[in-house]
Amino acid sequence: MARDKNSEDFIGPIRRLLVGVLVLALVGLFLVWRIDSPRVERLRAAAIDTVVPSFDWAMAPITGAANLISDFQSYQQLRAQNRDLRRELQQMKAWKEAALQLEQENAKLLDLNNVSLDPQLTVVTGVVITDSGSPFRQSVLVNVGARDGIIDGWPTMDAIGLVGRIAGVGQNTSRVMLLTDTSSRIPVTIQPSGQKAILAGDNSLNPPLEFLEDTALVRPGDRVVSSGDGGVFPADLLVGQVALGTDDRLRVRLAADYQRLEFLRVLRSQAHEEIADPDNLLAPEAEFFGPAGINPASLNTSALTDG
Amino acid sequence: MAERTDNRTWVQRGVFVVLAFVLIVVDLVPLDMRPSLWVSPDLLLAATLVWVARKPSYVPVLVIAILMLMTDFLFMRPPGLWAALVVILTEVIRSQNRDFRNMPLLVEWGTIAFGILAITIANRVVLAIVMAPQAPLALTLIEMIATILAYPIVMFVAHVMFGVTRTSPGEVGSRGQVL
Repeated sequence: MARDKNSEDFIGPIRRLLVGVLVLALVGLFLVWRIDSPRVERLRAAAIDTVVPSFDWAMAPITGAANLISDFQSYQQLRAQNRDLRRELQQMKAWKEAALQLEQENAKLLDLNNVSLDPQLTVVTGVVITDSGSPFRQSVLVNVGARDGIIDGWPTMDAIGLVGRIAGVGQNTSRVMLLTDTSSRIPVTIQPSGQKAILAGDNSLNPPLEFLEDTALVRPGDRVVSSGDGGVFPADLLVGQVALGTDDRLRVRLAADYQRLEFLRVLRSQAHEEIADPDNLLAPEAEFFGPAGINPASLNTSALTDG
Repeated sequence: MAERTDNRTWVQRGVFVVLAFVLIVVDLVPLDMRPSLWVSPDLLLAATLVWVARKPSYVPVLVIAILMLMTDFLFMRPPGLWAALVVILTEVIRSQNRDFRNMPLLVEWGTIAFGILAITIANRVVLAIVMAPQAPLALTLIEMIATILAYPIVMFVAHVMFGVTRTSPGEVGSRGQVL
């Protein structure tokens, strides 16, 4: 501000007024967001859509440097890693034999049952552009969007397991809310007991299982897969393994490699057929077999004849 | 106000914008998607406060508002609220500019820390009032403390690398105007 009070009188009030308008505009935007969140979130998606892809050139050197450092670290660990890998390879050979046998058996059984796995489940693969940039939000931005036919709510996987779901679609980018985000809730089934639960993200690497009916039936190590409940996700996408957390809660060790998410597969999840009118599943106007006195349709007439 | 902005100020404004851009991009680089147990300081906020406390003319209020609103959008925060709070805080600091010029370092740090504490609490209170989803309290506190602790370091870096120093008595701009 100017030094002497006289000149401040010129600029001061106008500037204060403008700053006030600016703050009011920002607070107004916040209130609009609170009242009509979807619209502002769409605005956010559009803003990110235009801004972030142009950051690519700036991010390349940083990613490159980080990769260089991690590569250098891996050189140091090479010997130990080699030894570990050899041991793992031994175990894997045994597993491979088992898998081959199971694969043949599975193929035979599928053939016998004439099963066709869901042919509509196709994928769009995208590359992770940025993460959420904030430690409080677990989400990533991928470079596929409405242009590629992405729709809100579609499940997203890496090569192995479920990563999250699409939450916010821009023209060229879309945001994937990870399973670890505090607002992520996914219906899951725990195999082999078949217990249903909700996987509730809580900003930790291993999200807890909620609403378990019988915790006694669930053991650490059980497989957790998505359930088709509520039409949210297709069933049987691998989520991870049950683990007992240090706080004695059942948590899920996610199968997806969250340390390095690079390519994500967005599954084209088809809408579930909804059964709106369950009665029509039965044969229309089923004929009633039984004593006439119980048939509600003939109750009136039988009462009349008795009287 | 136009008569008091010389070329040097314009260059420094550009430097600040570029620095903010770098800080934002570094935050956005997808290196590790695991949720972290600790939180790094909000360097953009710390840098903004250092610049405002030391050389307010380098960071016009409009630049702060636009940058903060952009980070609100990019970092999935409720848009507008944090930007408004930061603008208010920087305006308060800006109006105390003459006091900041000859304040002991610790007092300056304490004042800034109080400001960061105030806007963090205000942010949480407003979010609680409108019942918007909130970040976990522990992480928010860690981030706040980390930002406060980072302030002197950012100040040092700004001093050494970017030449953002307090205006000394009798200092004038390149055209001899009063600062």
